[in-house]
Amino acid sequence: MGRGQRFGTALSAFVAFVIGIITALSLLLGDNPALFGNQPGSDQLAGLLAVPADVLLRLVVIVLALSIVIGIANLLYVHVGRLSRGKLTSAVVLVSFGFTIYWYVARQGDASLLEAVQVPIESALAALLALSLLHGGSRVLSKRADIWGLLFVAVAVVVLLASLPLAELAPVQAWRDWLMRVPVGAGARALLLGIALGTVVTGLRALLGQDRSVRG
Amino acid sequence: MDEEFNWLEYSESIEAAAEESEVVSDRRGLRRFLPRRPSLPSLPRLARPRLPSLGLPSFRRSASAPDQPSATDLLGGQAERPLDDLDERLRALRDRSALASQPPPPAHQALYDVDEILTGPELQSKPGGVISAGALSRAQQQQVEMLRDIVGGPGETGGSGGRSLRSLSAFSLSAVPRLLGTALLLLAVALPFVSSDYAEGELPPSVFPEDRHSPRTMYDLLDNLTRDDYVLVAFEYGPTAAGELDLLADLLLRHIFAQRAKPVIVSSNPIAIARARNIIRGINRSQPIAEAQLLHGEDYFVLRYLPGGALGLRELNENFADIARFSAKGLPTGLNFASLEEMTEIVLIAESAEDVRNWVEQVVSADEALRLLVATGYAAQPLAQAYADSMDKVTGPLVGIRDAFTYGEKLQTTFGGLVPVEAPVEPEVELVDANVASESQAEFPPATVSPVAVVPATALPQPTATAPPTVTPPPTATPLPTDTPVPTATEATILVVEVTSERNVNIRLGPTTVHEIVGLGYKGDMFVVIGSNGDGSWYNILLPGGVEAWIAAFLVEERVVTATEFAGARDSASTGGPAERAVLQVDFGFRLGKTGPRFYQAQPPATGDRPALALSRDRSGEISRLQAMTLGTLAAVLLIVFGNTIYAVRGLLRWRDGRGR
Repeated sequence: MGRGQRFGTALSAFVAFVIGIITALSLLLGDNPALFGNQPGSDQLAGLLAVPADVLLRLVVIVLALSIVIGIANLLYVHVGRLSRGKLTSAVVLVSFGFTIYWYVARQGDASLLEAVQVPIESALAALLALSLLHGGSRVLSKRADIWGLLFVAVAVVVLLASLPLAELAPVQAWRDWLMRVPVGAGARALLLGIALGTVVTGLRALLGQDRSVRG
Repeated sequence: MDEEFNWLEYSESIEAAAEESEVVSDRRGLRRFLPRRPSLPSLPRLARPRLPSLGLPSFRRSASAPDQPSATDLLGGQAERPLDDLDERLRALRDRSALASQPPPPAHQALYDVDEILTGPELQSKPGGVISAGALSRAQQQQVEMLRDIVGGPGETGGSGGRSLRSLSAFSLSAVPRLLGTALLLLAVALPFVSSDYAEGELPPSVFPEDRHSPRTMYDLLDNLTRDDYVLVAFEYGPTAAGELDLLADLLLRHIFAQRAKPVIVSSNPIAIARARNIIRGINRSQPIAEAQLLHGEDYFVLRYLPGGALGLRELNENFADIARFSAKGLPTGLNFASLEEMTEIVLIAESAEDVRNWVEQVVSADEALRLLVATGYAAQPLAQAYADSMDKVTGPLVGIRDAFTYGEKLQTTFGGLVPVEAPVEPEVELVDANVASESQAEFPPATVSPVAVVPATALPQPTATAPPTVTPPPTATPLPTDTPVPTATEATILVVEVTSERNVNIRLGPTTVHEIVGLGYKGDMFVVIGSNGDGSWYNILLPGGVEAWIAAFLVEERVVTATEFAGARDSASTGGPAERAVLQVDFGFRLGKTGPRFYQAQPPATGDRPALALSRDRSGEISRLQAMTLGTLAAVLLIVFGNTIYAVRGLLRWRDGRGR
């Protein structure tokens, strides 16, 4: 890495650090006049402090929206290139792309193609996934005949049985309710905690320059 | 962001470095990683591919060399150099190259089409940085191997892997269990659509069970919506979840429309916006009368797509005023909100737990005044339930088709609960002695309905200081309005309750909150009292349609009014302005208009009325789907138990044989 590249990296990390700190402070202090007591002008001050985060948020959303346009353009580039190499499947993509836009514009926002094509196809794929999962579920013990495999099968069977609307299965439904309330609830909360901690760590890494994804 | 790695330039640099290494002894920078006596000079020089001039950007031209050996392969072929001399990135690159050069997995363990993506050299050989998201780590590779082991067994596909799907000649007997299982499942799912004789199990209840408070609360909150309330409805599901969530979304929208509130639809999923439009079109199609069609910009609003996932939702919270100004088509909506707090309710219909989390974290948690009503699929239920159990401002969740069915039944009960009559029936009143009436007001007999509380005018408190003491406040304290006819000596009066609560009041079939809601009371509404429960906490009231109902005492105030006053108030309701009369025409079981004392109307709904939207759905398919779900789940349980039992027994036998040897 040359000196120029190192300088660019340092500069981009510095910009990320400054912008991150400004955004965090603006989110924490902005629109919160209670932090400044009942002093005169605290409302205006809190409002002013919220402006940087507001502006940056709008900028980011605009950039993200623009990235969708770039993504579409890239998709077209790729498939035009593939088509030139004789990949006929790309022709299907391009024709479908053009026809969908034509249909939507010519029929004034008619989204019936969505109902007639995309919903059935995606629903069918979901159904195929259900079949694969079922087959996998019936073979769990073929590859993993241990306590964890048995536990997996037992829990799957209890949850599925409890979803049946049969009065005879009331005890199983009680087990399922306990499973959902205690282990699953605990797992969901742990997941939320883990995501929150991961977000904090990722933010700190970006602010401290450890995360090089901001490098230009 | 990592700088882009150009393989061609890198391979060229290897060759150049090899040549240079013979004459240059000073090894610095990247050259120190190169072999001192490279075995690469004989490799063909890589030329930049010549692509047709299609306007491709330069980085694509340089990255497209399909017929040449990749630099990864070249690097992976260097075995004579100590690995410790390489830096970490190059070692990782070498490992990936080694993985890419491994032979493909046995054909019978291949995942159709998925393997080409997961194990293809294109992904495995890419360096770190942004595009490394497409490569798999070692842990992910192990998970893929495990998935492959579970899904594809030895010989199951006839030994030809993915090709067996394309060629029926590859069929073998080992595929029979899988085919039988699939056939059994398809048969179980299809039978309920063919005949109702195959129905198994009970349909979901018509009311939410006692132990599920949140769905009941969610229904009541939407049932308390009034005319011109705005409800933010977030559609966060795509076509994959349409089968599971469309019915729920349809019912929630129907309920909102029937309350004459206005949904404002947003989404961070562009396809979901189109889904929402199509659902509303379906509701419109169920209305045969053109005048009753729901119109965008009047009855509902579809706002623009929110890009950026969680950031987009954050922007919705921060800049709702701007977002609400434009529709999904970029046209002005005419909505002029200051903030999200002006939404009466926020309803989220979400497919994934990630959507639920984003809405809770980015939208609701940022503002104390906001509340979220959640409807999800089964996949997102655990997380949504955790939020609902932990946060007061999250209500729900309604989950999947079963809850949708219950919700629809409850909707049917609410909108069809009142018996239609041709004309409002005057409440039958009976003149009784004033003292008896006073006693009945002061102390209601327990567990029985009190006598009709109608008293002669002579016993009424007159607007003088000599009025006899009664339960009702003396007119000196609460003088009658000047435009209200003053009771005369010959005019009968009626004991009524007037709603004093600022919020809407539920009117129920019985004196508990468990009983069904049959209507709503609004501030200023009056109802004739015909009794109370034992402790006086509920009034037994008479609705104008002749229907008896109950209302909580702490939400109302007793009043004694004359028949003239009572009738005058009702007349003022029925002879309002054109808009009010229009409301009178379409309301069914709901209040008439928004101002002044109102009375419940038990008129049958006219054709095309919006409340009828809540009742006009076709329910025949719902029951078949529910029964198909039941039979399908039963078949799935049988297959899982049967298959695993066989494998467990086989494993035991092998274990025993192993011990025997």
